[in-house]
Formats: sequence, C-alpha cells, structure tokens
Amino acid sequence: MYGYRLGAIGIVTTFFIIIFSTVLMPMVLFNPKASGRGNDYKVIPLSIGDAARGRQIYVREGCFYCHTQFTRIQDRGYGPLVKEGDYVYETPHQLGTARTGPDLTNEGGRFPSQWQKAHLIQPRAVKPGSIMPSFSYLSEHDMNDLVQYIQTLGNKRTVTAFVTPPDEYLPTTPRGRELAARKNVDTKADASANAGRGIYTQNCAACHGLEGRGNGPNAITLEKKPPNLTRDYYKQYPDEQWFYRISEGVTGTRMPRFQSILSEEQRWYLVAYLKTLPKEHEETIDKLDQLNEVEPTHLPVLTKQVYEPHHGKE
Amino acid sequence: MSINNLAQTSLLERFLSAREGSASRNFFLSALWWSLWGMGAGMLAGTEFSMPDLIRGVPQLSMPHLRMWHVNAVAIGWLSMGYVGSMFHMVPTLCKTKLYSERLGNFTMWAWNILMIGAFCTLLNGNTEGREYAELGAILDVIVVIGLVSVAFNLYMTIVQRKVKKLYVSLWYFLGSLFWFPLVYVIGQRTFVALPGLNDAIIGWFYGHNILGMWFTTVGVGMMYFLIPRFTKAPLYSHGLSMLGFWGIALFYAPTGTHHILQSPVPEWLKAIAVISSIFLLVPVLTVLTNFFMTMRGKWGQVATDLPLRFAVTSCMFYLVTCTQGPFQATRWINWYIHFTQWVVGHAHLALLGTFSFILTSSLYYCMPRLTGREWHSQGLIRAHYWLKFLGFLLMMTSLTTAGLVQAAGWALGYPVDQWGLALQPYWFLRAISGFMIVTGQCLFAYNTFKTLYTPRATAGATVAAREVKV
Repeated sequence: MYGYRLGAIGIVTTFFIIIFSTVLMPMVLFNPKASGRGNDYKVIPLSIGDAARGRQIYVREGCFYCHTQFTRIQDRGYGPLVKEGDYVYETPHQLGTARTGPDLTNEGGRFPSQWQKAHLIQPRAVKPGSIMPSFSYLSEHDMNDLVQYIQTLGNKRTVTAFVTPPDEYLPTTPRGRELAARKNVDTKADASANAGRGIYTQNCAACHGLEGRGNGPNAITLEKKPPNLTRDYYKQYPDEQWFYRISEGVTGTRMPRFQSILSEEQRWYLVAYLKTLPKEHEETIDKLDQLNEVEPTHLPVLTKQVYEPHHGKE
Repeated sequence: MSINNLAQTSLLERFLSAREGSASRNFFLSALWWSLWGMGAGMLAGTEFSMPDLIRGVPQLSMPHLRMWHVNAVAIGWLSMGYVGSMFHMVPTLCKTKLYSERLGNFTMWAWNILMIGAFCTLLNGNTEGREYAELGAILDVIVVIGLVSVAFNLYMTIVQRKVKKLYVSLWYFLGSLFWFPLVYVIGQRTFVALPGLNDAIIGWFYGHNILGMWFTTVGVGMMYFLIPRFTKAPLYSHGLSMLGFWGIALFYAPTGTHHILQSPVPEWLKAIAVISSIFLLVPVLTVLTNFFMTMRGKWGQVATDLPLRFAVTSCMFYLVTCTQGPFQATRWINWYIHFTQWVVGHAHLALLGTFSFILTSSLYYCMPRLTGREWHSQGLIRAHYWLKFLGFLLMMTSLTTAGLVQAAGWALGYPVDQWGLALQPYWFLRAISGFMIVTGQCLFAYNTFKTLYTPRATAGATVAAREVKV
C-alpha cells in the first residue's frame, strides 16, 4: 500500500517540477519589452480598414495553418529577422507551424492592396500555380480589414543601423583621399551605370543573378548564399561601401577580391550600375494607379462598395 | 430490444443507463461516429490541396476551417472518446470490479457528444480562438474539463473499490494521464488570459505537445500494455522495465514542447531543455517497445490470424518509427533543415493515425465483443479495414515525408516557398488518395460494427465471455 502512495506522490511531484520549469519559469524570466518593431493594433489609424479587426479575420479564416509569421536566419527573401520584443502585442500568437504558403512576417507593402484583394478573391488569377483556397466568400468589409492587417505586417521592422567601409576607403584618411582623388567616374550618371552593366553581367551575374536578387545559377552550389541586392538595406550603401565590398570580397564566403581582376575604374563603373538595381517591393500602396495602367488584368478597386459579382448583396 | 421493452424502460434508463458496460460501449460508438466526420473532413481538406478550386464560396468547407474541425474531431472526438471507452472497459477489468458509476459514465458521454456537436457548429464557421490544438471556444473548453474531471473521478473511484491489491502497469499509465491531462488542458487553453505573443506560444506548445505526451501517448501505451499480453496470452516480459518506461515518459515527455518553436526568438535555455528531453525520450520509448517485443517472443505467428493483434503490433511498429523520428527532428540542425515542411505533418499523422488510431482500433475490436457478447459480423471486413488503413497510411506517410524532404531541399537552395510548391503536386495527390483509402476503411469498420450490434444474432450461443478477469 505504501508503495502506491509513494508512486502517487511521485506522479504529482514530477508533474509540478515540469510545470515549474517549462511554464512558470518562462513566465517569470521571459518578459520581453516591446521593441517598437511590432504593431500595437489598437493604435493603428483606420486608413482603409481596421487592422485589429483584420487580425481577427486572419485568425477566423485560419490563415496561420499555412502561413508562418517568423523569419529565420536561413530564410531568403522574407525581410528583416524578428526579435523577441516584436511579438508583445501578438495575442493569440500566429507564429504558425507549416509553410504551405509563404511567410508573412514582413508582407506589408510587398504588394499593392488591390493585388492582395484580387489574390484573396481568386489566388490563381494573380499567382498561377498557387494552391491557396479562394476567400471570395468574405464580405467587402471583412476583406478590406484583412488587407489592412496584411499591409501592417512588418511595416515597422525597418533597418536602422548600417555598416560603414573601413577607414582607408573614407576621405577621413590619407589613403581614402587618394582613392577619391583617383576616382574619375561619376557614379550617378546613367552612362557609368551602362558601362557597369556589362561588367556585372560578365563577372557577377553567375552568382548574383541578372537582377541582383542573389538567384544566379551558381548560387545553388554555395553554402553562403549571395545576398539579394535589391533589398532596402542595400539602397543605403554609400559608394565607398560598394567599392570596398567589390575590391576585397566578403570574408567567409566565395565572393572574390575583385581588386585583382578588375581595374579601379571598372569597379567604379560597377558601383554605378549596382546603385541602379531595382528596389524590392518598390510598388507599394502609394502607386496603385500606375500599377493598374501597366497591368493587363483589371484589379478591383479598394472601396467600401460591393465588388464581387458572385457575392450578391451584403 | 422489442417495442414493448422500449416502452417499459424509463427515460432515465434509456439515456443514463446503469447497465454494466453501457458507458464504455456508448463511448466507443460515439468515437466511431465522430471519426467518420473527422477523417472525412481530413480527406476533403487533403483533396483541396490538389484541387484548390474544388469548392468555392462555401466558408464551412474551405480548407482552414476543415482542418480545424479535422484536428479537433479526430483528437477530441475519435481518439479521446475511444480512449475513455477503452479505459471504462479496461480499468474495471484490471480491478476485477464494476465501473464506479455507469450513470456518470453515460452522463459524460452525452456531455462529450454535445461538446462535439458544438465544435462542429463553431469550428466550421471559423469560430476559433486561433490557437493550434486549442481552437475550441470558452464554453466548449469548460465542457471538456467537466468531461475529463468526471471521467477521472469515475475511474479513480473504480480503482479505490478494486478487488486486487497490485496495480497493473496499464493502471499506472491511466492514473497518471487522468491526473495530468485535465491540468495540462486547463493550463494550455489560455481562454481567459491574454499572454503576450511569445509567452502565448511557449504555453501553447507546452499544451500542444502534451496533449500528445500526457494523454494520447500515456493512455495509448497503457492500452498496448493491456492488449498485447491479452492477445498473445503471454505474461508481460518485465514489470521493472515497464516502470522504467512509465517514469521515463512522465519525466521526459512534458518539457519537450518548445522544440516546435526552436528557431523563434524564445529563451535559449528553454529550447535546450526541450531538445535534451526530446532526445532522452528515446529511453522510455525503447524500454516500452523492448518490453512489448519481448512479450511477443514466440508469438509473432499469431499476427497472421489474429486481426486485432495485427492492429496492435502495427501500432507498436509505427510507435517505433514515430519516436525515433521525433527526437531526430527535434535536434537543432535537423530542425533547421526540415522545420515548416510537410514532413512535420507526416510525423504528426504517424503518431496520431499510425500509432494511436491503430491501437484504439485494436482496442475497439477487442472490447466490443466483450461488452456486448456478440462476435464480429465479418472477419473479412476487419481484414479489408486493416489493409485499407495500413496501406493508406503507409502511402500518406511516405508521400508527406517525401514532400517534406523535397520542400526542405528547395528552400535550402533558396527557392521561394510559393514557386517550389508546384513541385509538391504529385505528393499532395497521393496524400488525397491515401485519405480516401483510410476513410473507406473506417466506413467499413463502422458498417461492421453496425451489423454486429444491430442485427439479430444468427446463431445462438456464439457469445464471448462478457468480462475476462485474468490479467
């Protein structure tokens, strides 16, 4: 009889030790402060729709079963990494478990709102091959709010700290001043960029891809992947930083030291070209009209009025 | 039962019967009923991966809503109700006594069925709390807790009234689970608390993994401990090993939840605890399986003729696969590669469908004749059920695992998720076929059960002893 009491005490004790270590301890020790990179949905202005309500619809429609909301170091093309303080207002959490669809951590602003709405109504019309179910049954109100929520995802996760080239590339040192004095290429001129284009195609595109997105054919064989040079981050690079990277390569990667391959003038031409690379997700909500002009398909206009022909009256 | 008899029985007797074994039987039948709906929803959701435009404009049948219902119907409807039915038969048998209160058992059964109806109505309409595995709304959560507590009370009182002194190892597992799981459920729901995002995720995965570790595994392994010696008529190989396995599971299973968010910004020490306990989990698993396989010594031939035993042994084999896969996937580098892929989905099905659904099916095939005194209507249907479910599941497991590896390889090479998704079409098609096979098997199972229970007995005297008391 005593043995069973001992066993019962054992069961209870074991359980509470585990509750203590994996439930109570994290609650006490892990209290991240708001980093300012996540959204407090209660204070977002109601421009198109209500983002807080949109989040409820995101939950209601079970989007998180296929779309995750955290970026990892090895993820490519999903924007800045998340930090613990980003999630303070995310209740219930929408981290997700499977990526049947793309990660949505930094989805806001990637596509115009009209595109998002058309994609919700018929995903395969704007994204061939997608297996996302059609959410055409959502009312106009629901859909506007949901789109507003999607557009706020990651909109505060912007880059604030930038790297600078070593001192010998900057005009603060004699070597940097010599370099600047030798520079005879106007890196802002279209002619220089055009001169750089050929150099890029011959020397860089194999790894970096024709548009600098880091998806060249050689990229698949590299353990450290080439970066996506169209990201916002690279738009902040000063000329000297580009020049330094091209000249000295990147330690720990297969990026070579081009100072032994290209002349100084050629490298400056290359800098001029790199600065003209397209900017990722440049078309955002502010440029909808131009987008509708160039798109062959007519995208629905984001209004409060009933759009869907098959939806009937609200 | 003729019309006259029906008229004579009071309403109380009909809905809250005190007849011995009625609670267990009713739980089994409800489980079977909800399994058809749950697995059917899973099949339809799986088909929508291959044919995304199959159903348009019906919110109740869109894939995410079907998935919520599928998970809850098979976890809380099919598996949990079947587990309670099994325990209502096994615990009194092991204690050589009657269930403490059949009426309370039947009351729990009705409450649980009302809960399932509520879940059906709310989840398919998207009325969810948005927490994976904890989707049910506040009222339904309360009903689940009432159900679990009344089951626990009923079975604890049965054990208090037992006629044997020594507790068999299955009872240890059942007792432990009935103590842990109601608490885990209450902690894990977060219905009435709003925690900040990552804390919500930590508690969420503590619950999400322990609905498996402290309920499906512990009760399921208890059922294996009960069934395998019964089928083979061989004594359990080692009581000492079984105790080692029990305490190993109790210690190492519960803290593993954080391995589901191993790459998110949660504290590193919590991840370390999760990874280490996941790896240590190999100890109890191999202990338990050694015990089963040693019990089977010299009896493997019975698998060819004894169909319920075949279900149980298949379950043990899948348990071996799932529990070597799990710790492997939980290590950081493997997780780095395969997290978010379809292999994770395949692994979840390996545990819940491959292992625990198989052992529950075995238990149903074992218990039902003993509860009702009727032989199974057709052995051929049982055989068809076995092969449809086994081959269907094998197809599902291989297609999802391959899909996961294809996805992981593509992502590691830098392909975007949505473009690489096209490469998975063949596997999703195979998965839809496997779902169809499993649902067909389950329909045959339900038909067989219906014919067994509700057709007049063909031959008199072909009954089975209503309750075996030998351990």
